[in-house]
Amino acid sequence: MAVGEDRRTVAIRLSVLQVLIALLFSVLAVSFWVLQVAQHETYAELAENNNQRTLALRAPRGVVFDRNGTVLVENRNSYSISIDREHTKDLNQTIQLLAPLLGFEERAVRDIVDRHRREPTYRPITIVQDATLQQVAAVTSRRLELPDVVIDQIPTRQYHDTMAAHLFGYVGEVNDAQIAGTEKLKSGDILKSGDVIGQAGIEKVYNNLLMGEDGAKIVVVNSVGREIRTLEEDRASEGQRLKLTIDEDVQKALENGFKWSGFNGAAVILDPRNGEVLAFTSVPAYDPNAFASGIEKSAWAALNTDELKPLQDRAIQGRYSPGSTFKMAVATAALEEGIITPDFKVFCPGAATFFGRPFQCWKAGGHGYIDLRHAIEQSCNVYFYTVGNMVGIDRIHKWATLLGLGEKSGIDLPNEVQGLVPSPEWKKARTGEKWYAGETISVSIGQGQVSVTPVSMAVYISTIANGGTRVTPHFLKAVDDGSGWKDAPAPPPQSTVEFKPETIKAIHDGLFLVVNGAGTGGGSRIAGRDVSGKTGTAQVISTEGGRAAKGKTNKDLRDNGWFVFFAPRDNPQIAGVVFVEHSGHGGTWAAPITKHVLETFFAKQDGKPLPPPPGKQTPPPAPSEGDDPPLVLPGRVADNTPVAPQPRP
Amino acid sequence: MLERRLYFHIDWALLLAILALCGLGVAMIYSTTSDPTRDVSRLHITQMYAIVIGLIAMVVTLSLDYRTFADKSHFVYIGMLALLLYVMFFGTVQMGARRWISLNGFNLQPSEFAKIGVALVLAKFFGENRGTPAWTDLAIGGVLTILPLALIAKEPDLGTAVTLLPIFGGVAFLAGMRMRVLGVLAVCLLLAAPVAWRFGLKDYQRARISTFLDPSQDAKGAGYQQIQARITVGSGGLAGKGFRHGTQGQLRFLPVAHNDFIFSVLAEEQGFAGVLAALGLYLFVILRGLEAARLSKDRLGSYLVLGVLASFTFQVVYNITMSAGLAPVKGLTLPLMSYGGSSMIATLAGFGLILNVRMRRFTN
Repeated sequence: MAVGEDRRTVAIRLSVLQVLIALLFSVLAVSFWVLQVAQHETYAELAENNNQRTLALRAPRGVVFDRNGTVLVENRNSYSISIDREHTKDLNQTIQLLAPLLGFEERAVRDIVDRHRREPTYRPITIVQDATLQQVAAVTSRRLELPDVVIDQIPTRQYHDTMAAHLFGYVGEVNDAQIAGTEKLKSGDILKSGDVIGQAGIEKVYNNLLMGEDGAKIVVVNSVGREIRTLEEDRASEGQRLKLTIDEDVQKALENGFKWSGFNGAAVILDPRNGEVLAFTSVPAYDPNAFASGIEKSAWAALNTDELKPLQDRAIQGRYSPGSTFKMAVATAALEEGIITPDFKVFCPGAATFFGRPFQCWKAGGHGYIDLRHAIEQSCNVYFYTVGNMVGIDRIHKWATLLGLGEKSGIDLPNEVQGLVPSPEWKKARTGEKWYAGETISVSIGQGQVSVTPVSMAVYISTIANGGTRVTPHFLKAVDDGSGWKDAPAPPPQSTVEFKPETIKAIHDGLFLVVNGAGTGGGSRIAGRDVSGKTGTAQVISTEGGRAAKGKTNKDLRDNGWFVFFAPRDNPQIAGVVFVEHSGHGGTWAAPITKHVLETFFAKQDGKPLPPPPGKQTPPPAPSEGDDPPLVLPGRVADNTPVAPQPRP
Repeated sequence: MLERRLYFHIDWALLLAILALCGLGVAMIYSTTSDPTRDVSRLHITQMYAIVIGLIAMVVTLSLDYRTFADKSHFVYIGMLALLLYVMFFGTVQMGARRWISLNGFNLQPSEFAKIGVALVLAKFFGENRGTPAWTDLAIGGVLTILPLALIAKEPDLGTAVTLLPIFGGVAFLAGMRMRVLGVLAVCLLLAAPVAWRFGLKDYQRARISTFLDPSQDAKGAGYQQIQARITVGSGGLAGKGFRHGTQGQLRFLPVAHNDFIFSVLAEEQGFAGVLAALGLYLFVILRGLEAARLSKDRLGSYLVLGVLASFTFQVVYNITMSAGLAPVKGLTLPLMSYGGSSMIATLAGFGLILNVRMRRFTN
């Protein structure tokens, strides 16, 4: 082959190559154009998702203080450990690595993941809610291998054990129904899944104030999930701080009193001048801390199936027969309606017959001739049968209602129930039958179908104490939205009636004598404080007779003890009710518990050292004499269960 | 030696384009590796040293007449095989491969220089023959290529080994290999592919190819790099995110960004504009090289130029395609831009030969 031809071949083939190369580069240029210009937005977004993560910054809820500025409910930092599936390469591998770090069985972690598998992947699956420091440290040390495991710092509610549990309530993650409901936050935001809101008590009622606004942080992370820098931070703002009307020392005294007694029950203690609640309890209580970072199913089930119903707020949801504490309602009605004067006397022979049926006084020999003051002091049944019969059911109903019984108190807690003061209208509507005058007799001493909640009893005694103003019990004293404390206006009274001075005088005298005279409230007597009050003993057997057949112990069938009180007699500053379940006579436990509370209250007022919590070594003083024997009603009782005559222990 | 006359015939434009690409590479290496929040990195400084050494090597390869080099090509070739054998037994192991000879802290990668050796020996071999290469010629040329290729593939460094094939293909093509032969070779390759797939590839290599065909099948595993490469390039847009402001490379979503994926970083930070500029420079370098082949006084020169250019072009095109996530990920660097001393020195030395051929087109 000639050299020339060779050269030509080379030239031609080089040209071919040139064209080929130029084509190849054109294809490359077009490819890059497609990626970088035509599809730029898709990839730009992918790149952003690659390196930016939005972290939620949980806002702490507002701190709750007592009336003196003592912290009652605060927040602590807890850590949650979750798997962010968007950044998971191999979920199995993550679970295998993570489980031993947490000290869990692999199975357990897998179960949690499986439960949430169907949720959208952008929602992290929380494996541990309130992780221990060891767990956090273990996971942190392996974070390079676990770029998809996220540790979040979450402010978590912290309560002082079970103190005032029903008052504070608890928090929990919002449920679907609540999201669907119209609940809107103060900020205008709508609740979203994962938000923690108040589910009971103050936490629920004032959720809008207490709940802060969550913030968010957009951070740049590298390929192993390490935060490189923060791009944008929207700080979480803490919820508003609340100052409650509660006095922590009085509250503690009250709870210590119940602990000392060992009984369950409820108590509400108010400032009778304005309805501020100084102490509030329901026993047994639960530990609201158990809810703070998500309650475990088993714990929740245990609370719900507990026969003592620790979740029930007895103070606003328990309905009980008031017993003799109801007698002041009859007295008020009789005096205010002008049917009797305080000097009106009745002869008590120990029993009396009304409408052909015998009704007994607790005192076998009777009280003889007795006036109103001493009838209250001695709790004479025959006196109140007689007066009640004269007043009539309609006026008893009217005045009991004005005193707050059979009504909701309007307290700022959710799910308050209403008690019952029967009336002919009520009976007609309920059973279609007319009212029998005989029923009025048992109502007159707080038996029969009368049922009250402890909180309504607190309102009742406050109204008696302040002379006719049915204050609305409330907890909110002041709010701090970050710009300083602002007093929250007290809710207006539910009703106001000015009682005649002689009404107030007579009833206050009677109540004073109960404690300081020959009455049954001596257990609450404090020298110089003019404590006034009334014990009540309400039988359980009649209303819960059905349960007797189910093998209840005697203790469950013992009478409920009441003590309503105020102090001092003139210009009362404190009033309330202590209700002790199955504790027998109201003077046995309810009055001594009250005494401890009042001693604490007055010691604090005078700046003196607070009395030590009552110990087991001091047995409660027995009431000086019997009071309020369980009334054996002929015929039928409220819930139509047969009455089993019960011997007093 | 270097006569004054020759000095004027140096292709300054080509040299300038080469230096521009080197500069671009140094800038991108600086951008991806020097982050004050991480360990202080001086990789860009190392790269500049490599460029200086490479330029010295270039001066060496263009000072002597390329025909002198070609005459000694058998020595070069044998020396090269010896080095590769030495690596095989005494080389330094890094990242699971025995590719390097350690010289006082400087790691030399003989496989990079094998390209020049093969180009020289093939140019010389085909240049001595006249007319269309016979079957025997092709066979001998093939063996000359396969020997170092096998040694390099054994290291293992399949990427670099494969770059030897275009040298043989390019030189044989230019030497007038019949198109029929080309067709037969293509059919052979096709037939060999399944066999190679089954026996010739390691698991990770197979995985790379199968994920290339469907990256999403293993988005976090083998397909990860490919997807990340596409995201890197695509998010760059028209104008790019700005020097040192790329997120993909800076935050290490892209592995070995300063090395195999340096073009992705360029695309991210400088955008389509930067890509066009770099592509233009590479295209210019390649076409200018082909021009040198055309201008060459003899066939030996043309073959030598094309031999050097073939592996360069193959590597450039493959790497750029890969860096856009459009080809399976392979440990193949981008000549002139990627970080790597041996590659830089060998490439510049190779271009020394191309300049050599062009500037001596008038000498005898």
